[in-house]
Amino acid sequence: MSNAQIEIQLIASLVAIACAIPGTFLVLRKMAMISDAISHSILPGIVVGFFITHDLGSPLLILLATLAGVVTVVLVEYIQKTGLVKEDTAIGLVFPALFSIGVILIKKNADDIHLDVDAVLLGELAYAPFDRLFVSGVDLGPKSLWIVGAILLITIVLLVAFFKELKLSTFDKGLAASLGFSPVIIHYGLMTVSSITTVGAFDAVGAILVVALMIAPAATAYLLTTDLKKMLFLSIAFGIFSAISGYWFAHWLDASIAGSITTMLGVLFLLVYLFAPNKGVIAVLYREKQQRTEVSLLTFLLHLKNHDEERERHVNHLNEHINWQKVRSKTVLELALKNNMIIIDNNIVSLTSKGDEFTTQAIDYIITNEDAQIEDMKDDFFLFRG
Amino acid sequence: MSDKIAVQVDDLTVAYNYKPVLWDIDLEIPEGVLMAIVGPNGAGKSTLIKSILGILKPIAGSVSIYGKSYDKQRSLVAYVPQKGSVDWDFPTTALDVVMMGTYGSLGWIKRPRQKQKKAALEALEKVGMLPFKNRQISQLSGGQQQRIFLARALVQDASIYFMDEPFQGVDATTEIAIINILKELRKAGKTVIVVHHDLQTVPEYFDWVTFLNVKKIATGPVKDIFNDDNLTKTYGINYKVSIQE
Repeated sequence: MSNAQIEIQLIASLVAIACAIPGTFLVLRKMAMISDAISHSILPGIVVGFFITHDLGSPLLILLATLAGVVTVVLVEYIQKTGLVKEDTAIGLVFPALFSIGVILIKKNADDIHLDVDAVLLGELAYAPFDRLFVSGVDLGPKSLWIVGAILLITIVLLVAFFKELKLSTFDKGLAASLGFSPVIIHYGLMTVSSITTVGAFDAVGAILVVALMIAPAATAYLLTTDLKKMLFLSIAFGIFSAISGYWFAHWLDASIAGSITTMLGVLFLLVYLFAPNKGVIAVLYREKQQRTEVSLLTFLLHLKNHDEERERHVNHLNEHINWQKVRSKTVLELALKNNMIIIDNNIVSLTSKGDEFTTQAIDYIITNEDAQIEDMKDDFFLFRG
Repeated sequence: MSDKIAVQVDDLTVAYNYKPVLWDIDLEIPEGVLMAIVGPNGAGKSTLIKSILGILKPIAGSVSIYGKSYDKQRSLVAYVPQKGSVDWDFPTTALDVVMMGTYGSLGWIKRPRQKQKKAALEALEKVGMLPFKNRQISQLSGGQQQRIFLARALVQDASIYFMDEPFQGVDATTEIAIINILKELRKAGKTVIVVHHDLQTVPEYFDWVTFLNVKKIATGPVKDIFNDDNLTKTYGINYKVSIQE
């Protein structure tokens, strides 16, 4: 690996971490679309900043762009508060307006400035190593590495200091307010950090893909854990993984780095969405099938307990009596047999003492409205699940 | 109950988008009562609590807690919001939610430590939820979630407890468990204020009641003012409740 390659991966990883942290809270606050709005409407801030400073890395430019991000949030909230339109509509109104101002400004002055719309939308990560920071002649590495590194440091310090407050106000705004942690201050703090991060990441991955880096790792992590700290660490890990694997994917395809990183984020989310142990689609389908079979089993056992007459308990007529298809009757019958709940004698099905005990307890729970207990009971009685 | 006034509300008017939902409320809540706030939907019951707690800004009037503004007396007050006001899919455990009750006494930046954890565990024990401490909150039943909220208020060790419909969507066992804890709080000299929906249980559960419907209709001891006259004034129709003695 060349130095430039290492530097690009390092910048991409730092950007991914810096995005994943506020992104986690945006996802939990159901504010994913706000990051889209911010990432677009910082454009006029960047353009105006660039007119003044002629330097994409200048602090003044970052400040102006961040301000544009916060203004977006304020405008969205203001329009929403009028009660005339909903939040998503307000977002859809505000950011194209600001973004278009930026686009017009760039186009009007395209001859004078070195800033084009493509770079703004998609970023120029591949060129990042060429713009270097020199202090009295000494090469200190790429400028964007320093910018992103500084932003990440601020983000981490704020996260560690205000983790408790962020958690509380995200979970329960009312309690936060009544305990004296102003949700408004925390909200705007988070919005400011999201804006600064977007500005810092923007140079590397562009306005469109910043959104993916903020939202996708957090959304993926959300499917895997029920612990906020773990969710943060997983988001960060997914961000770094996508940044590095995305870089090599782009290298292999000779394609856009930012596009490849986003593709990796998408692939990662899809995999987790399908295969996550608890919330994944496959796990959910499997659980539903298991539930269905086990409820059928209980219905079947109740039927046996309620009917002493032999014609109601004949193997071949079971499906007629409880109105099931043959396949389902067979599955349920086999499950009951495997768990020693029934015996079949001369094609007549009867409950074993274990089956009888299970059914009696289950009825008790159903009558007393404690259906949830049946789940715990299953662990005691079942050798095989449905 | 003592002679001290725990909560005093003067000329409180609250509006959403310039449309008043509470008109000129005057209310004195004596220390040590277990009080129900009753009224029809849209009467402003939750709004009243939220305004007392500074969550909503009134357009007129003032609130005082033991004679001082709420901002100064925050530590004396605990709040149980409506269960539906939070996202129960939030990635956190029962214990962690109860710990949030200690955040107020910690202030900004400082983190909860062993002492806060111990207090949270004790509160969980009190509401019978200790075995569920590490359970993710979405895995709890409605009644268990309500108990977690109650534990979070208990851990604040406050003098005044505000609760917004703590009996909504809970089973009979939880309702009895909750009311027993509220009665214990009263016995310990605390003031408990509950937004309540089930008029049948008012005489059994509470000793003080406030009738509210945008304006205050009446407030006082249940035995004196919980009658058909006030119910009809509050609910608008000819309301009859069989009051169990």
